[in-house]
Amino acid sequence: MTKGESGGVQEDQPQSKKAAKKLQKEAEKAAKKAEKQAKLASENQAGDEEDFAKDRYGILPMIQSQEKLDRVLVHVKNLTEEKADQVVWLRSRVHTSRAKGKQCFLVLRQQQFNVQGLVAVGDHVSKQMVKFAANISKESIVDVEGIVRKVDQKIESCSQRDVELHIEKIYVISAAEPRLPLQLEDAMRPEAGDEEGRATVNQDTRLDNRIIDLRTMTSQSIFRLQAGVCQLFRETLIKKEFVEIQTPKIISAASEGGANVFTVSYFKTSAYLAQSPQLYKQMCICADFDKVFCIGPVFRAEDSNTHRHLTEFVGLDIEMAFNYHYHEVMTEIAGTLVQIFKGLRDRHQTEIQTVCKQYPCEPFKFLEPTLRLEFPEAVAMLKEAGVEMGDEEDLSTPNEKLLGRLVKEKYDTDFYILDKYPLAVRPFYTMPDPHDPKYSNSYDMFMRGEEILSGAQRIHDPQLLTDRALQLGIDIEKIKSYIDSFRFGAPPHAGGGIGLERVTMLYLGLHNIRQTSMFPRDPKRLTP
Amino acid sequence: MAAARVELESLEKTLGLRGRNKLGPSRSDSAVPVLQTNNGPGLVGLTTIASHLVKVAKKEALLGSTAEESAIVQQWLEYRITQIDRCNSQEDTRVVLKELNCYLEDKVYLAGNSLTLADIMVYNGLHHIVAGLTHEEREKFMNVSRWFNHIQHCPGVRQHSASVIFMKNRLYPSVH
Repeated sequence: MTKGESGGVQEDQPQSKKAAKKLQKEAEKAAKKAEKQAKLASENQAGDEEDFAKDRYGILPMIQSQEKLDRVLVHVKNLTEEKADQVVWLRSRVHTSRAKGKQCFLVLRQQQFNVQGLVAVGDHVSKQMVKFAANISKESIVDVEGIVRKVDQKIESCSQRDVELHIEKIYVISAAEPRLPLQLEDAMRPEAGDEEGRATVNQDTRLDNRIIDLRTMTSQSIFRLQAGVCQLFRETLIKKEFVEIQTPKIISAASEGGANVFTVSYFKTSAYLAQSPQLYKQMCICADFDKVFCIGPVFRAEDSNTHRHLTEFVGLDIEMAFNYHYHEVMTEIAGTLVQIFKGLRDRHQTEIQTVCKQYPCEPFKFLEPTLRLEFPEAVAMLKEAGVEMGDEEDLSTPNEKLLGRLVKEKYDTDFYILDKYPLAVRPFYTMPDPHDPKYSNSYDMFMRGEEILSGAQRIHDPQLLTDRALQLGIDIEKIKSYIDSFRFGAPPHAGGGIGLERVTMLYLGLHNIRQTSMFPRDPKRLTP
Repeated sequence: MAAARVELESLEKTLGLRGRNKLGPSRSDSAVPVLQTNNGPGLVGLTTIASHLVKVAKKEALLGSTAEESAIVQQWLEYRITQIDRCNSQEDTRVVLKELNCYLEDKVYLAGNSLTLADIMVYNGLHHIVAGLTHEEREKFMNVSRWFNHIQHCPGVRQHSASVIFMKNRLYPSVH
């Protein structure tokens, strides 16, 4: 009634054509809206009525440990032909979904494995269920029940090529937001794919959204391989009767030069973050531990933004007493690295292959026993290639890489030791060469032309140590405790430190160390 | 410009004309060299003077022995001053090196089957560019490197320029 009345009032008043039109339009709009709503409601109703499969899909309430369900979940990697025609439950992420008429294809991913799933209208599956499956956002976590079926044609896009899963039940455990900061497909695309004009994700975007980037099959493989490096390092050294030690990272004085250390406030005074466990592993040798190793964080406050520098990384450190010649230690360390390379080759072939798909590179080559070159030989090789450098000059990065290529060409190895560095380019605690005081008993090890380990025989004589420090203008007072540790009888010893991230990066032939650090720290990045 | 003068003096030595000509000072504002000849007006321009010196030395074969060869020699002399000498950026030199690398794929010399003035002049023009390349880049422009190495070893051509070292083995298999 009110409506009619108001209409009447409006009719009485003189009104412009424009206003009339507007009213009419609004009325039409309202009518349309009502109609639509009615239709939708009836459809929904109809849907509810017809949907015989409504118990087979849906969004599960949050898992709060209400019940202990006696259900075995199968890992995607175990879905093989042997499981054909079995009914299995699995929990996975929705990698992609594609609806096509009465079918919906899902790629279900669990870590670096994925399998194709199919929701097709049939006896157990309704139209609504297919629609529901198609609408699940990418990266959501789902529980799925289905029958494993062999396929005639191999599914090339999945890791489980021989089977697919005919889904009968699908429940969402955790829904992902529909808009992802980056697409996994883009993040996994080989860089050479640029020619197709397809998108790739740049390093910074990846790192800003690291948890999503880490889900890619490539990242999953990289970090599994990295864990393998640590495990093999431990295994090999424990077999050789090394003792694992833990050293403090908060230290009172910088161990090697004061320039590149982080200062932290420590109650009423200040302390430093350890650049390496150098001092402590040497002290352990003086305390008769004989052979020690240590895996832990190492900090460098160098403001260098390169492809291979981080401000915090994981150091694999070795220190060992020897009998007569530091080559005993050098051989031991090189042997350990060779064991790691062999172990990676034998145990982690799947990971290597997966990474190679996105970042192609030649397989890593090494010799047994490891090739040892002396510094002057290397300088001669470089000079022959037209590089101008002094005999006692340190290797620059481009020269290091060039030398790597020259060595690879001549000896066919990606791993070699460079022995007898000039004394001038090494720290004060490095033992001078007995035959030529210009050189020292120190060595670097290289993988694919880049340094991964730096080591040397250390000076274990307090007098010589003091002399060397004085020669280099180091304040004796500051390193007094270090020198003192050698006053009560110290065995001759040598050692070295390896960067875990660098080993992983160079073994896989990657080009940026940030790819092998889970949450990298560099002068410009503190998050995530 | 001093560089053009040095280059022409070096060419005189290559041709066996030991300091017989007097190169005038270049015109104030440009890099174009001038040669005062005994009869007639001065000669102007690098390749013009170079061609003249070849004739004075009675080594006309260096200008091409057939009509086609002479034409190709002229073309590369022009390329030298219009393209190579006007490389102002990394990109420009990449373009030149890429072009040359394609062209030299099936050739020993720039024109025909023997050394010509074109080889000498392009070698001189490229010297500072090739000397600045890394081994990886020298391997990338492999045909240029092969040709350049050959020319620098031709008797008398290199003169006082530094010898550029080329690796005979491939170091970077992944480049190709």
